[in-house]
Amino acid sequence: MYSLKKNYKLILYFFLIFTLLFLPFLFTSSFALTLFCKMGVLIIFSVAYNMLLGQTGLLSFGHAIYFGLAGYASIHFLSGINNNYFPSLPIFILPFIGAFIGLALGFVIGYLSTKRVGTAFAMISLGFCELVTALTLIFVVFFNGEDGIQADRVTGNNYFGLTYGPQNEVYYLILFWCIFSVLIMYLLTRTPFGRMCNAVRDNQQRAEFVGYDVRKIRWMAFSLSAMFAGAAGSLHAINYEHIGFESVSLAQSGMVLFMAYIGGVGNFLGPILGAISLTYLDTMLSDMTEAWVLYFGIIFVIVIAYAPQGLAGLILMHDPIIRNKPSLLKKLAIPYVFFGISILLLVVGFTSLIELIHSLKSNHSVLKVYWIEISNQNFLIWIMFILLTILGILACKRSYTQTKTVWDEVIEDIKLGFIK
Amino acid sequence: MSIEVLLFIIFNGLLYGMFLFMLSSGLTLIFGMMGILNFAHASFFMIGAYLGYQISLYSNFWIAIFFAPIIVGYMGAMVEKYGLRNIHKYGHIAELLFTFGLFYIIEELVQMIWGKTPVSYKVPELLNFPLIQISGMDYPAYSIFRLVLSILIFLAIYRVLSKTKTGLIIKASLTNPEIVAALGHNVPRVFSNVFGFGCGLAGLAGVMAGNVIGTEPSMALLLGPIVFVVVVTGGLGSIKGALVASLIIGMMQTAAVSLELNLNNAFQYLGFNVDVNSILNHFTSITISQLSPIVPYLLLIIILIARPRGLFGKRDV
Amino acid sequence: MQKFKILLITLFGFIYLTACEKKESTGPIKIAAIEPLSGPYAAVGKDIIDTVTYSASVINKNGGINGRMIEIVPMDNAMKAEKTTELLRKAIDDGIRFITQGGGSSHALNIIKQLEKYNSRNPGKEVLFLNNSAVTTSFTNEDCTFFHFRFDSNVDMKVAGLVSHMSKDNSVKKVYLFNQNYVYGQTFRKTATRMLEKNAPRIKIVGDELIQPFGKVQDFNPYITKIKLSGADTVLTGNWGPDAYRFVNALKDSGLKVKLFGIYISQPAGMAAMGKNLLFNDVVVVKEFNPTNSNAPSWYKEFEKGHIEATGWTPDADRMRFMFEMFKSAIEKSNSFEPKDIAYALEGMEGKSIDGGKVVMRADDHQIHFDMQALLLSEKQEQSILYRNQDFDMSYVNVGNIPMEDITLDTSCEMKRP
Repeated sequence: MYSLKKNYKLILYFFLIFTLLFLPFLFTSSFALTLFCKMGVLIIFSVAYNMLLGQTGLLSFGHAIYFGLAGYASIHFLSGINNNYFPSLPIFILPFIGAFIGLALGFVIGYLSTKRVGTAFAMISLGFCELVTALTLIFVVFFNGEDGIQADRVTGNNYFGLTYGPQNEVYYLILFWCIFSVLIMYLLTRTPFGRMCNAVRDNQQRAEFVGYDVRKIRWMAFSLSAMFAGAAGSLHAINYEHIGFESVSLAQSGMVLFMAYIGGVGNFLGPILGAISLTYLDTMLSDMTEAWVLYFGIIFVIVIAYAPQGLAGLILMHDPIIRNKPSLLKKLAIPYVFFGISILLLVVGFTSLIELIHSLKSNHSVLKVYWIEISNQNFLIWIMFILLTILGILACKRSYTQTKTVWDEVIEDIKLGFIK
Repeated sequence: MSIEVLLFIIFNGLLYGMFLFMLSSGLTLIFGMMGILNFAHASFFMIGAYLGYQISLYSNFWIAIFFAPIIVGYMGAMVEKYGLRNIHKYGHIAELLFTFGLFYIIEELVQMIWGKTPVSYKVPELLNFPLIQISGMDYPAYSIFRLVLSILIFLAIYRVLSKTKTGLIIKASLTNPEIVAALGHNVPRVFSNVFGFGCGLAGLAGVMAGNVIGTEPSMALLLGPIVFVVVVTGGLGSIKGALVASLIIGMMQTAAVSLELNLNNAFQYLGFNVDVNSILNHFTSITISQLSPIVPYLLLIIILIARPRGLFGKRDV
Repeated sequence: MQKFKILLITLFGFIYLTACEKKESTGPIKIAAIEPLSGPYAAVGKDIIDTVTYSASVINKNGGINGRMIEIVPMDNAMKAEKTTELLRKAIDDGIRFITQGGGSSHALNIIKQLEKYNSRNPGKEVLFLNNSAVTTSFTNEDCTFFHFRFDSNVDMKVAGLVSHMSKDNSVKKVYLFNQNYVYGQTFRKTATRMLEKNAPRIKIVGDELIQPFGKVQDFNPYITKIKLSGADTVLTGNWGPDAYRFVNALKDSGLKVKLFGIYISQPAGMAAMGKNLLFNDVVVVKEFNPTNSNAPSWYKEFEKGHIEATGWTPDADRMRFMFEMFKSAIEKSNSFEPKDIAYALEGMEGKSIDGGKVVMRADDHQIHFDMQALLLSEKQEQSILYRNQDFDMSYVNVGNIPMEDITLDTSCEMKRP
């Protein structure tokens, strides 16, 4: 039984990697590939960030420093290849350089900031972030201000015939690095060091009492996390062939914090889910509506208020049911469908209202909501969407209680199963 | 440095410092008491500015300065009651992220209601005249009014916190919420009120500053981090600390702006010159004045590493 | 195991969502306009999109170009460089062959560099970049490319115009440079220093300040004190946005009387925050035209009227209008919709300015050249500045013409033509 399970896991692994390898054949457009590449980079970044937040319990507002500065260093190396200073440097090892820069910076800044924990640590990281952002604008010779630096990745010797001109070659580069570094980070959580990090997070005094130097562990975790962030920054620079001051800014740090938290910090896979979904949302929403920041904010607040374990937590909630009594899932299906429909009602009503209000500021009276053209001068339409929103709220409330009742029954059932 | 320059530094620093104090005093209370790092604090400041504009459009500034902070405070209390209180059980990070999300929502709502460009929020005509003059530089009555009002507010908060029973309950809830609750006080309500009051202070700062620094949707984003510097430097929950920290930051930044010195000057003093075209010159020619924006953040880092309880805090951050 | 199942399900769900791609090659001429439409710079992007969309609609109203209409596709980059890159790739995927952009020089540079690589890697599928407002000088110097055309004067030309006017103004004796500490402000300061020394040696530079940009400075009093102590009678500044209007307001409060020479100081987006404070000091800006000229020809009056109706504000820039007119004539001249042919046709092309003069696209570096005017902000004359349904009750008065020759500068561009 056990071996079958293990084999099953292997097959899944294999299948996953196989799919990822064939993605560029499914999606040939360079936009889709750029998006995949961005996701890959941000997966590394957010998993690295979660090493700090989820596993060691340190909240940082300045992780973009390592991401961004490693990116700057890589782009300088890239333009060094462009200008024939070291033409034989292969591009695929640039992430190593980025990782080294990240490690070095993490080592120094970590030394200063891991003396403190909790809010003090968070504030120190915020201070460093603002400091570095301000410096990137002042030191023009290295950072080139708000213009950032451009470089050409189609350069130098073409090892293995890779020019990195076509986006899919970059995709494979990032895929390789993504799997490689996520794997290492996963293995790290399995080592005694990883366990020690958890111990420091959960109970500092006890960990100290057992004989560990907690500060050293935090420092190590910090440096390693910065190292992987550096590798991600390097790949970011290769992907966009450009790096600018916004990659070291508070906005970027906040983004990775959101990714890790929305995905779920309690789980190793959480940040990966978070990175994928938020990147997708960020790109797609901004394309569809001008009020996307509002929707973004509302989604965050709702996830934080109702799903504190993040997306991964939401999915893993079902784990005990699947493991013990999968047949009970059927019982949940109907309330879930109703809940889904109520949410849909609410979303349609609410977003249409927002779009209507938004359109009042522009000079056009006709707007397109969900493929239908409506006029904001029509009084009935306003009433219709207000009613729809109210209906959605009521339906959501009702179906939420219903789902909760069924859920509690199911969990009770499983608990009873344990007792028997 | 002449006496004239020194005078300017002190006076400009005082004005700027008291602005910072108004902005961050509310957060000092909130952070000290509830441990919530309210990222949306500057957003409440922004709402205050916009409400001040809107109300003074329909009536006048004096009605705005009275009602806008009350509305903002009420909004803050509602946010605490229906949002933050439910999230409290998930820990400080969740609370902080909630306010982070709130920040985005408020920014976009403000853009939806008042548009993306600055609104024309004007200084009240009654106070729009030069009141005092310091060697040729005018200071309008409105600046002095802001200065006086912020000093009064400091005195009022200080007195309430240290001399009244309300202050006692607030301070006790800060350290021992369970015992205060056991004594029959409604601690969640105290929290709500403090949060509302803190936001109201931010709103008041917004009404008073919006017509000077310009009322526009990005003002919250730009002021966000500096608020934390003041709160942390001053010390948790210490209103006196917030005042001193604001004044120090105000003076330091103003002084830094006045210094046209750079490393090249220092090298010259030591007897050698840096080549104007060398790469080194890019670094050594940067003046202290240009580095003034990083002063607060340097202060923040140094304080936290050396003395994490801040200037007047009673416990570590 | 469960975890991987979850991952797989999400992945496939997401793949389905992304699988909606479209391709288009006929129909309207699509022009992607990549500007910030959300975030702190949304106002800048919105203004540009408004004028670009209106100017294109005027072309469409007059029958389009060779029977085809122009369609502006607004794209929101939220002022993030990586988003600009993504959107550019998206636009190319969607078969869009023309890009226009103006808000933020770093984004323009990004587009130039990306297109340079793309166009050399994909001959026959070239994409043309019509730069409407990004002013960094290097785009038409060392960074110049064949598929980039700039329809706005660059920083050096603007500074040259300001200095040229300043040298004729005898009341200007001591000037204080006040700029933002990033690439644009630094270029402004460097060029201004150089040109003042060369063209107006009688004017003394008594101060040189770089401030942290993008609205980070709340308190301008210390800077004004410095200006006061330096004894300057004129401030030369490239500041825009909050850095401009907070400065103007603080100047008014301090009662310090100086002359203000600038480029973007009177941007309508910031005027609401300044109001009549702007008139306390003499503000002189250089522009390609006078937006409140009541003697403009009737065809322009019509254009202006339409603009106000469509957007609620007086056009603050004329360049979008002649950009589309020249784009139209280039297509008609080359009788082709291929960006390469259009680019060749645009080289050296002449368009008409409002005052009956001409605008010339210099073939050497793809930089537009036109006569400029020095404009003084004043109380309302016959026509006032409108912005988003507000009347500012102010007008521009022409205080000097700056002929094209004064601002024609040498270029270091070595154009590689395909």
